[in-house]
Amino acid sequence: MLIKYEFLKILRKKSTLIVMSASLLVTAFLFGLPALQFQTYNQSGVIKGVDGIAYEKEQAEKYAVPLTNEYVAETIREIQQLFENPDNVGYDGNEQFLIEGAYWEGIAPRENLLNMIAKNYTNPNESVGYNALPALDISEGTDFYAARQEKIGKLLNASSRALSEKQKAYWQDMNGKVDAPFVYGYYTGWNIIITSFELLMFAILAVCIVIAPVFSGEFQAGTDAVILSAKYGRTKLITAKIIASYLFGTLAFTLHALVALGLPLAAFGLGGWNLPLQIADTIIPYPLTFFQATLVNLGVVYLVLFAMIGFTLLLSAKMKSPYLVLIVLVPVLFIPLFLSPNGTTGAYNLTLFLLPYRSTMPEIGKYISYQFGGLVFDIFTMRAILYAVLTMIMLSLAKLSFKKHQVA
Amino acid sequence: MELQLQHLCKHYGTKCAVNHVSTTLTPGVYGLLGANGAGKTTLMRMICGVLKPTSGRLCLDRKSIEELGEAYYARLGYMPQDFGFYPDFTAREFMRYMAAVKGLDKREVKNRTEELLELVNLRDVADRKIKSFSGGMKQRLGIAQAELNAPDILILDEPTAGLDPKERVRFRNLISDFAKDKIVILSTHIVSDVSYIADTILMMKDGKLFLQEPMATVTDSINGKVWELLVSDREAVEYSSRFSVVNLHHENGKVRLRMIHETAPVADAMTVSPSLEDLFLYHFGEEAGIERSEKNADKI
Repeated sequence: MLIKYEFLKILRKKSTLIVMSASLLVTAFLFGLPALQFQTYNQSGVIKGVDGIAYEKEQAEKYAVPLTNEYVAETIREIQQLFENPDNVGYDGNEQFLIEGAYWEGIAPRENLLNMIAKNYTNPNESVGYNALPALDISEGTDFYAARQEKIGKLLNASSRALSEKQKAYWQDMNGKVDAPFVYGYYTGWNIIITSFELLMFAILAVCIVIAPVFSGEFQAGTDAVILSAKYGRTKLITAKIIASYLFGTLAFTLHALVALGLPLAAFGLGGWNLPLQIADTIIPYPLTFFQATLVNLGVVYLVLFAMIGFTLLLSAKMKSPYLVLIVLVPVLFIPLFLSPNGTTGAYNLTLFLLPYRSTMPEIGKYISYQFGGLVFDIFTMRAILYAVLTMIMLSLAKLSFKKHQVA
Repeated sequence: MELQLQHLCKHYGTKCAVNHVSTTLTPGVYGLLGANGAGKTTLMRMICGVLKPTSGRLCLDRKSIEELGEAYYARLGYMPQDFGFYPDFTAREFMRYMAAVKGLDKREVKNRTEELLELVNLRDVADRKIKSFSGGMKQRLGIAQAELNAPDILILDEPTAGLDPKERVRFRNLISDFAKDKIVILSTHIVSDVSYIADTILMMKDGKLFLQEPMATVTDSINGKVWELLVSDREAVEYSSRFSVVNLHHENGKVRLRMIHETAPVADAMTVSPSLEDLFLYHFGEEAGIERSEKNADKI
């Protein structure tokens, strides 16, 4: 009964409808933008929007094959042969590239695949394209996966990373669980989702704005005296307010998440859901498909949401007006937006990756880990633990704060 | 049933809002009077457990309210001064919500809500949103929610403030209906409201409870100190500046003054029977009297 009325209190406010509508529109716009702006090219020119997506999908599906060593070697050989004909090669004063028919027929339909293969053979943090493939020696074939392991080994041992032996072993163990050979295919929709998670911060902010008055609204309206002098004012009512806030927050955020995931998937298709993350970048250590990674990160984002709801409720129980709550909350949510990491280790970077805004980004290829004694946690696990603990702490403090509130 | 206030104090920094208030209240209607800032609201908030005393204890039947916890709040009804509502709730929803907060049994909620809405004459508008209610309707809803749990202790802080005379009469009657076998504390600075319904008068000044007398005898202490006399306009101005003038009334070109003074202000002044308002002004002469003198001078 109390939960129902507390939920109604949140839902009935005109501001709830306004904030939710605005934030859904923003979310729809931001996640719909890649589809609206999409364009690809073929020999005839630019192909935009739905036609462009359909064209790219058709091209990519031709290469939906397992990336066996033989297939990779054959592919590299094909590119090397194209480069062997001087008529196919252009030069911009810096590097060589394929031109005209050689590019449009041999490269364009599978450029992402070729770039990924080329990148697998470079040093960590080096960015190369398909034009690095002619330099590879494949006279005796190639071991694509050994090259991957070698690259990961270099990455883990880089002095700039300062990883402990435990951390290195943790990542190597995780990499060992990645299935080979990778199956390549079309994954644009899922890639857009995985690289756009931080845009869900607007949804989190909207939820927090709506629930900011849950406690402070009582102080502001002057209803605190009546409810705190009632039998359950300091006990069941607080629990009901918290449950109603989480119920609203979860439903509202789920609606946003459906829009955020639904629009790219509706435009770009579900294709690639069961493909491994490594086809986007071979160094990714997580043995997950695009769909699994999306779910894992979405789970983390939900935990960030829960902690932010807890934080909002704590501020709400402490402050006399919902506006004061927002004055504190907005910087907490958005200041990390203006802070950039300068590496993947060190207290500053490791803290930055755990702040609310950054915590919505999966950072799947960065090998960020946290060590406590003998225990090593990857970033998903660390964020999940941190935000679950923070939620518990915030809620306990919010409860206590409202319970001890004095009507003065 | 006994509600004991034991040396209750409330300090805000160096300011003492309530200063060692001690009394024992048994069922009856208590009119709590005092000038603005006397500490009435602070005292009531402490009685309602929404403001912690700096020192002192509040006990119901010899058990402290902290010890009683929910059991104390279950026996309490509170209508604070200027308390807010949820504007998007209807009156019925608000009552049902408050019934849930007060822990009423589910089966009881509906009957009690309808009964009280009927009693406060809001049943016809029970499904209207509270934001469309007049001040009087909100006050009636306020007392209805306070009465939901049929409390043993009913605390009403300025319940008639802002009401027109007709609404005030209706409100007084409601309070009288609810007051049976309860401790009702009614705070107001509208003296006539309490004079009709209070059994006992409590007076506070500077945070101290300095008077607790039955209504029937509360004015005895100023018997022989309330005077009336008929004077000219010019004399009325002079008397208003020299004495505590409670009332003035123009009669056939003269002015009838009602004054409070220890002795006869002039030889032809006549003593009259004191009222509660006279007593109030007698004790709060400085706060209320100055204001009244200024008003009287304006009237003349």
